[in-house]
Amino acid sequence: MASVLSTLHKALRATWRPFATAIVLIGIIEAAKRAHLLPVFVPAPSEVLLEIWNGPRLVTANLAPTAWKAASGYFIAAIIATAAGSLAVSLRALYGTIYNVSVMINSVPIIATAPLLALWLGTGPQVQIAIAALASQFPMLVGTMQGLQAADSRQRELMHVLSASRSQTLRYLLIPSALPYLFAGLKIAAPSAVLGAITAEWAGADRGVGAMMLYALFSYDTPKVWLSVLLTCLLAGAGFGIWALIERVAVYWQHDVELAD
Amino acid sequence: MVFYGRGEPVIALEKVALQVPAGQFASIIGPSGCGKSTLLRLIADVMQPHAGAITLGGDTPRAARHAHSLGFVFQAPTLLPWRSVKQNIELPLDVVGRRSAKRSARTTAELIELVGLTGFEDALPHQLSGGMQQRVAIARALILTPDILLLDEPFGALDEITRQRMNIELLRIWSESGTSALLVTHSIAEAVFMSDRVYVMSARPGRITTIIDVPLERPRRLDMMRTPEFFECVNRVRDGLFGHEQIQVSTPREPVEAY
Repeated sequence: MASVLSTLHKALRATWRPFATAIVLIGIIEAAKRAHLLPVFVPAPSEVLLEIWNGPRLVTANLAPTAWKAASGYFIAAIIATAAGSLAVSLRALYGTIYNVSVMINSVPIIATAPLLALWLGTGPQVQIAIAALASQFPMLVGTMQGLQAADSRQRELMHVLSASRSQTLRYLLIPSALPYLFAGLKIAAPSAVLGAITAEWAGADRGVGAMMLYALFSYDTPKVWLSVLLTCLLAGAGFGIWALIERVAVYWQHDVELAD
Repeated sequence: MVFYGRGEPVIALEKVALQVPAGQFASIIGPSGCGKSTLLRLIADVMQPHAGAITLGGDTPRAARHAHSLGFVFQAPTLLPWRSVKQNIELPLDVVGRRSAKRSARTTAELIELVGLTGFEDALPHQLSGGMQQRVAIARALILTPDILLLDEPFGALDEITRQRMNIELLRIWSESGTSALLVTHSIAEAVFMSDRVYVMSARPGRITTIIDVPLERPRRLDMMRTPEFFECVNRVRDGLFGHEQIQVSTPREPVEAY
């Protein structure tokens, strides 16, 4: 418990600067808008916040569906990607195929495939879940594949000299040395799942941040457009942040070597 | 031992005959690329020889490895960074099973004391110095009471001061553990100081050219490095390593001073 608290404390200490920067920037934009220095499509931050104040239902009713659809797609992708990554590493013959399929899926433009998938899967939440999964699978697959190969040859020799079985080598060496790479993949993939779900909502959804964004765009309601942008950032950032926190606790031996967080 | 790379196969080791009596300390010394580490890896069953036989107390290397009667210390400490000092030392126990008969008569705490790391049980490897990490690796190699301890340039990465200290500690640990030891090293002084017998190897193809028995008594002390017997052995190892070259080099007009 103490370690979790100290981790939170460290995280807070690491985030207050970017947080303060954001507040200062918002203040500058607000001042510029009041001085009529900004074009009409950039609303004052206060106008965006006022939208939340006037209609909190609008926020909650749209945030929740997007969040659970993105999360569902993300976890489906996590299970499939880690399974496929493990398979690729243990069966060399499949390595190239699995990797290339994943690269191809990752390079398909979501904006074009979402309507096609909607024709195929129907207009329910399944389209957004599927797109969130497709959009977020790649970093998790790469993380699994790289991670499971991260143990160096001496460490493998050590397990060999100890006559460790395959499952012991996996448990004592390969999985722990894969964790830093796996967490990097999970972290990077979380915002992609959110963006995928939101883009998929454009192809037909009655609720969600993406739907809200589309309605606001068509009715030239700039504060609402920016509110949906803000909500998207919050969701994507939260997805990243949760994994960054879990990583700090789980990969406790690498605190000093972290490059960016 | 033959390596098949691109083009011609390379004979890495040829005509190597080497014997370590039980409980003794032997060293292999030779230039880079003479196959010292390969030889150690053959003994540890990390690689298989092309021809020839290796026996460890009557067993094949494979049988010895499966019986956990080998302790191997690598050039680098090769610790698992997520395991504490104690957990790293106990890694072989996790593999063999904690109730195994191979388990050392010593407890982990005693081994930690033997290698001088009391107080660092819960430290992670990255919090330790290089010398301390290597001591963890030695303790790990000893926890299953190996019949033979294989050391592949274990102190190669350390500075001279730490290295001498570690040499003395290793000798103390070795004499207390009662295992046989085979050390691969680059350092002539280290080989002579540590061993009962030094095998000198030459390269391409790797073979043993000279065998030197060291008459220094045990336990070894640092001041023995000043005795004539020590220098005599060092010179014989040096002759074994450079003898042929000195003959070739000394033919030109200028006499070359041997160092």
